[in-house]
Amino acid sequence: MRIRVATMGLTVAVGILLVIQGGCSKKSIQSGGDAQSSERGMAKSGGPAPAPLGSSGELGSTGGLGSAGGMDAPSATFPDLSLSSKPDDLESGGLRGFDSVSGGKAPSEERLGGAGTMLAKVEPSESTARQIEDIRREQAKEQAASAEAGLSDVFFGYDSWTITEEGRQSLTQDAQWIKAHAGALVKIEGHCDERGTLAYNLVLGEKRAKAVRNYLVELGVGANRLAVVSYGKERPFCNERNESCYQQNRRGHVVVRSK
Amino acid sequence: MNRMIIGLMIALCVVVGAGLFGILDSRATDVFLEATRPDFQKIPIGVFGFQNGGGPEWLGGRIEEVLKADLQRSLVFSLVDLPGIGVKTREVTTADKAVFKQAAENGVSVLVWGKSGQKNGSKDSELLMDGFVYDSGSDEVVGGKRYVGTTSVVRLMAHRFADELVFRYTGEPGIARTKIVYVAEHGNARELFVMDYDGYEPKQITADGFLNLMPRWSPDRRFIVFTAYRSRNTQDIDILELATGKRWTLVSMAGLNITPALSPDGNFLAFASSQDGNSEIYKLDTRTKTSQRLTVNQGGDLSPTWSPTGREMAFTSDRGGAPQVFIMSGDGSNVRRLTYEGDYNAAPAWSPRGNWIAYVCRTPQRLYKLCIVSPDGQKRVQVTTGPGIDDSPSWSPDGRHLTFSSTVDGKSHIYMVDTDGKGLERITFGGTHNSSPSWSPAL
Repeated sequence: MRIRVATMGLTVAVGILLVIQGGCSKKSIQSGGDAQSSERGMAKSGGPAPAPLGSSGELGSTGGLGSAGGMDAPSATFPDLSLSSKPDDLESGGLRGFDSVSGGKAPSEERLGGAGTMLAKVEPSESTARQIEDIRREQAKEQAASAEAGLSDVFFGYDSWTITEEGRQSLTQDAQWIKAHAGALVKIEGHCDERGTLAYNLVLGEKRAKAVRNYLVELGVGANRLAVVSYGKERPFCNERNESCYQQNRRGHVVVRSK
Repeated sequence: MNRMIIGLMIALCVVVGAGLFGILDSRATDVFLEATRPDFQKIPIGVFGFQNGGGPEWLGGRIEEVLKADLQRSLVFSLVDLPGIGVKTREVTTADKAVFKQAAENGVSVLVWGKSGQKNGSKDSELLMDGFVYDSGSDEVVGGKRYVGTTSVVRLMAHRFADELVFRYTGEPGIARTKIVYVAEHGNARELFVMDYDGYEPKQITADGFLNLMPRWSPDRRFIVFTAYRSRNTQDIDILELATGKRWTLVSMAGLNITPALSPDGNFLAFASSQDGNSEIYKLDTRTKTSQRLTVNQGGDLSPTWSPTGREMAFTSDRGGAPQVFIMSGDGSNVRRLTYEGDYNAAPAWSPRGNWIAYVCRTPQRLYKLCIVSPDGQKRVQVTTGPGIDDSPSWSPDGRHLTFSSTVDGKSHIYMVDTDGKGLERITFGGTHNSSPSWSPAL
């Protein structure tokens, strides 16, 4: 009797297990399918987030002040980056394990070429040399034009992008010049001191540049004449490690654009 | 009724499934726990040295030096000073059983030795390295390796041998052949360079003359994504193929286009752009070339870093005023704040193991140091201390080290450190400003 109950219990248990297994595998296939379809949906619709970026066409649009000459336009044909679609890289070579050396046998020869990841040699070409020269010339031109216009920069507090009273006075003068020179285009560079992370300082630099732009717009300068760019802490005016130097680098640099 | 049964079945499925996965998982994590838990006993290894048989005078010594440094950094082995325990480091052959026995009796588990020199009959002055391994557990010479190549691959021979040893004893590829991409000041510009993980063999990979910033590897190690100031006024996110030097622009929206990061499967590029006003995080599908905005708020969102499963990402946001680290799902949902200590936490990097997120934390003394936090926020450890501004942490593929930049020695240089704060090592010495290191995936 007891044995029969036990056997019955076992049969039922096995039955349940089988049913569960069937159910489980079905469920997993289904959920896999769900995940895939929702992913495709996201790609098509631009996602559930409000204010979606929209179509891929927007990726191709150049922003800010226009792109440099001689550079490729954003490409819709960049290489496949999917990891799954690639065979194992033979050049990098997996490890092969140790060879038996019993009986004084020599291990088999493994020839090493390249240095793991192959690297193309960078030789500054004529066009890059020209580009570097262009950058230098443009910069010199901007500097001269800005000095001639007598534009003043704006300085900020630590971690801050609020324009100070002193900054407001500088910008009032800058705005007068810009309004008096209808053809001039102005660029505001946001800069930061070396403290903090590289990445966050780029965002902070942009906040500073935009704060300057917004104040100039408040003073009646057309927004279409004002461009902003952030250099974070990557192009400091001063390289020492003290507060007076840091102060120099927390800046909205107002520049007359060369083009 | 039917619903109840289905519900019950699903519940049972979950329990059984979780049980099964639990078993599988625990087996998988055991290997990892073994080598990363604090009480892990490193494997004592002795290196006899590499006899020179022709070839350059420095050859054997160089191989031994590189190999020892690799074994030390592996954190899998501990180097035993053989003369210190009375074992003579004279010439050894596979037949020197008595010497092996003596070392084994003194607690050495693995012995390594070899020879190096000119390859016989080689026209192009090729060099050869033989390396052998004795294991005290089995009391036998378990095998050897023979590498052949030019002078330029001598360090690689030692690196490869070290990786073979790590692989044999842990089942994981070592990190001795990994690389670090970083930014170096070059003239007035910032250009990208790639070097070996120990700082040797730096090679320049861009020459644009202005700013190239924040490089990151593709998961297959063939590409670098980075922010390029194509002119002084606009930023793109570009991708560079290392083997050919070919370059494509992936993202060129208005405003900032920064902090690109490819997902672990390579199918998505997460990045920050300010085209919609302030810096927000977007995701570009690299197959369909369409992109999607993931964050929506008034603050700046940046520095996305993928979890190793690709299901979530951590990122920096100053939506609460000061920058803090947040986590969200890969589709932008389920956002929650991860860091609460201090008023400046940024530049997160999710460990390839998944168990830690490293980031830059500002200490109460207003120093920018490295911290690590578990993804559930329960454990937090400050990794680096002392002066200097630390930035841009990036994990080694084995999850045991971080590379980062620091101004501790004056100018910004690249360093590495173990997650417990030990093993701090400076790895760049030349140049005036080295920053933004990113550690390659393992081979």
